[in-house]
Amino acid sequence: MLLRKTIYLLSTGVLLFLLASCYKEERTFYDGPGKKPVYIPLSELKNIGNESPQPIQLSGTIFLRDTLLFVLEQRKGVHVFSLKDSTNTVNLAFFKIPAITDFIISGNYLYADSWKDLVVVDISNLQQIHETSRIPGAISPALYPPLYDGAFECVDESKGAVIDWIDASLENAKCITIN
Amino acid sequence: MKQLLFTAALALLCFACSKDAASSESNPGKSGSITRFAVYHDFMYVLNLHEVQTYDIQQKDHPVLLNTLATDYGLETITIYDNTIFLGSTTALYILDISNPAAPVIQSKSDRLSDIGFSGCDPVVVKGNYAYSTIKIIANACGSIAAESALVVYNISNKSAPVVVGTYPLGIPNGLGYKDNYLFICDEGTDQLRVFDISNPAMLSETNYSIAITDPYDLIVDGTKMIVSAKTNFQIFDISDLIKIKKLGQISK
Repeated sequence: MLLRKTIYLLSTGVLLFLLASCYKEERTFYDGPGKKPVYIPLSELKNIGNESPQPIQLSGTIFLRDTLLFVLEQRKGVHVFSLKDSTNTVNLAFFKIPAITDFIISGNYLYADSWKDLVVVDISNLQQIHETSRIPGAISPALYPPLYDGAFECVDESKGAVIDWIDASLENAKCITIN
Repeated sequence: MKQLLFTAALALLCFACSKDAASSESNPGKSGSITRFAVYHDFMYVLNLHEVQTYDIQQKDHPVLLNTLATDYGLETITIYDNTIFLGSTTALYILDISNPAAPVIQSKSDRLSDIGFSGCDPVVVKGNYAYSTIKIIANACGSIAAESALVVYNISNKSAPVVVGTYPLGIPNGLGYKDNYLFICDEGTDQLRVFDISNPAMLSETNYSIAITDPYDLIVDGTKMIVSAKTNFQIFDISDLIKIKKLGQISK
């Protein structure tokens, strides 16, 4: 019943629906409001290390071990908080990991994506982390703006790694998300 | 001898002050419900949009890619329960057998379209023979379709053929987790952490223990504590008594 209703609703777009969300396709040029990528040079991806603790802005994955809470800061790094005293949490550290969108921790190591690479970071000393290895090309990052429906400037990978999407007035945009 | 004692004392001191270090053999730690990474013994699984990668992390500082399992496009979340991987994708719930953790095998793929008439993208938690998955459909994100988001309950006693045993409409659901017979769901649509009684998985009932939180995103249940991440802040709750969920503190943004 529900299925029939859904398909009825979508009778003009069943194929698109089946393709599910978040694809991009080339189409004719588009001028007007949309999104465009913000890049950092690929060389900056190597800059993994500590920064002074900072407030959370755009969070993502969370990971808890004992009283340590690790919080993803989208495309920037990972915050570390101490929850030893729940009523008085302490912002302990910030790990800078450019272009990160997800991570996990096992033992003394943090594993994260960083644009197209899988990076391994030794976090045994929270105040002195360092990259121990990297598998280039392991990750296929999404080349479209997240949670967005509409036209956008296609990613030009020769310009570097995408770390953000901003509103922009587009000219000759060739990409669009279809949901 | 004195020197030795001194060294020992120093070592003890260092041990004491290293409590904030990341490593802890006794507690491996846990992620929220929304993540693309999972660790299982000496293996790590990483989701790309269209594949599951298996890494050997026996040598933790040097992962080795062992296997790549192709799936349909749209993988979003991974969780491991009872030696089984559960993947939430935009179109399906995947169950992967990891009897051989080095090479996961797809046991079943429950297409959300054919099963219940939705398509969406969200996380899964598993308890006993039941999997709980939120499915989010919102305009401009996961389908600009006038359809309902929902919590979907699967009976997974036969992992090769899960059966949908219930769907419950929600606002804009995100992460979820449970303690004992209570399931917590971050519902961004109604700005609540909603609490369902799951003692009868085939017929859930929503409790009135829900907590108002603006735009909740994900949560971690850890013993008697629960951490909820939201757009504006993180909150820590004492959930030892579900009838009186008590806020302990928060991390402001």
